[in-house]
Amino acid sequence: MSLSLNRRRFLAATLTAGVLPAGAGAAAERKRFGITLHPYYSYVANIVGDRAEVVPIIPAGFNPHAYEPRPEDIQRIGSLDAIVLNGIGHDDFAGRMIAASSKPGLPVVEANADVPLLPAAGSMTQSAARGAGKVVNPHSFLSITGSVLQVATIARELGRLDPANADAYTANARTYSRRLRQLRADALGRLASAGDTRLRVATIHGAYDYLLREFGLEVSAVVEPAHGIEPSPAQLAETIATMRRLDVQVIFSELNFPSAYVETIRRETGIRLYSFSHISHGDYAADRFEREMTRNMDTLVQAMLEAKP
Amino acid sequence: MHRQIVRRAGAERETLWVLLAAGLILATATAAVGLRPAPEAEAAPAAHQIDSRTALTAAEQGLHADLKMAAAEIAVQIADEIAALREADGKSKGRAPSPAELAAQALPPFAADASAAARGGHAWTLVEAGGTVAYAGLSADPGKAGSLLLLLDRHGDGDGHGPGIWLKRAAEAPPARLDETSLAAAGWKRITSTFTAGVTR
Repeated sequence: MSLSLNRRRFLAATLTAGVLPAGAGAAAERKRFGITLHPYYSYVANIVGDRAEVVPIIPAGFNPHAYEPRPEDIQRIGSLDAIVLNGIGHDDFAGRMIAASSKPGLPVVEANADVPLLPAAGSMTQSAARGAGKVVNPHSFLSITGSVLQVATIARELGRLDPANADAYTANARTYSRRLRQLRADALGRLASAGDTRLRVATIHGAYDYLLREFGLEVSAVVEPAHGIEPSPAQLAETIATMRRLDVQVIFSELNFPSAYVETIRRETGIRLYSFSHISHGDYAADRFEREMTRNMDTLVQAMLEAKP
Repeated sequence: MHRQIVRRAGAERETLWVLLAAGLILATATAAVGLRPAPEAEAAPAAHQIDSRTALTAAEQGLHADLKMAAAEIAVQIADEIAALREADGKSKGRAPSPAELAAQALPPFAADASAAARGGHAWTLVEAGGTVAYAGLSADPGKAGSLLLLLDRHGDGDGHGPGIWLKRAAEAPPARLDETSLAAAGWKRITSTFTAGVTR
C-alpha cells in the first residue's frame, strides 16, 4: 500500500516537473503522422518541419519488399493521428496493420491520388495488367515529378487534418518542391552539351520507369518477372536473349539488394551495369530522399554520358 | 427353368454415371458463371479522351506528369503576383508567366534541356483567349510525342477537374477557341488518369 502510494507520489512529481511546462506549450498539440517507406519519411518531415512528429511504422533495416507486420509495429499505429501511404502496391501490408490496430478508422493520406501512374513493369505483371488494367507501378516516389506531386497532395491533406498548421505545411511543401526540382535541373544541366542522349535501357527491378521518363528514356526490358520476385533460370535465359536482341546498352541494378543472377547477366551479355538506390535502406532521415535521388541522377547522367559513342 | 441374365463385368454403367455427373457439374458451373458476370469495367473513355496509363507513349507520359506539376507551380506564381499587385496598386489581375520565364526557372517541360530534346522538342507558346490561360507545345517529332496543350483551371470558376491537358498527334497548333467542344472537333484528346485507392491491397 505504502509502496503504491509512494509510486503514485513519484509519478505525480515527475509529471508536474517534467511534462507540464512542455505540455502547456505547443508540444502537447503536436500531431503524430505515420509513414511506411523511406521517401515518405523525407517528404512528411520536410512538410511538417517541427510542427508534427513523423513516425515510421516499419523499423529501419527491413526490406519493404519482404516485410511482414509485427505486433509491436501494429501497436505503434494506435498512437498516430494519420498515416501517409504509397497506397498503390508498395505498402500493401499497411492496410492489414491499420485494420488490426486499435485505430482501424485512422485517417489515411493517399499520396499518389494526383500522380499520373504508369502500368506495372515485368513480363508477368504486364499481361496481368493488360487484363485488369489496374495494376500500376508503385515506384512513383523514385522520380522528381512524382515526388513533387505527392508532396503537394500530402501537404494539402495533412493541412486538412491539422488546420492550425496548414499554411506552414503548404509553404514548406513549396520550398521542398523547389529544391527537388533543382536537383533534376542540375542533373539535366550536365547533359546539356552531350547532344543526342538516347539510350536502350534494361532494369533488374521495375522501379525506375518514372525516373527514366523524366530524362526521355524508356525501359526496353525488366528482368524481374514481377515486383520483387527473382527470375527462374528459364526466365533469366529468355531475358538475356531479349537484351541481346534489343541491343540494350545499359542495365540498371539495385544498390543494397544484391542478387547473384545480376552478375550472370553482366557476364553473359557484357552490358555495362550501374546501380540505383531504391531508397528503402538505412535510417529514416529528412534529407535521405534528396541525398539518394542526387546519387541516382548522378548515376543516370554518368551512364548516359559513358554510353555515347 | 429359371433364367437369370448376369451382367458381364465392366465399367459401362460407372462410366455413364461419371460422365453424367461431370456433365451436371459443368452445366451448373457454366450456369453459375453465366448468371453472375463480373461487374462491368469502368466506362471506356469518351471519344475525345485518352488514358495516360495505357494509351500514351513514354515521352508523352513524362510530359503529362511534368505539365501537371508545372500547372500547380504556375497557378501559385499567378496567385503570388495577384497578391503582390493588390498590395502595390489595388489591381488584382495576375499575369501568367511566359514560357521563356518558366524555362529560365528550369521548370520542366518548358526548360530547354536534354530531356526536352529527347521527348519531342516542343516549342511552347502562351495562349490567352477569352480569359483562358493556356500553354501550347508544338511538337517537332509527333511520332515520339504529340503536340500538347495545358489549359489552366480558370481562377475561381474552374470546372473542378484541375488543369486540362490535351494532346494531338500532329505538329499542329490548337484551334482559336479553347473550349472542350472546339478542341474535340479539331481532333484534340483530353488526357485522363485514374486512381483507384488500394487496388492491390
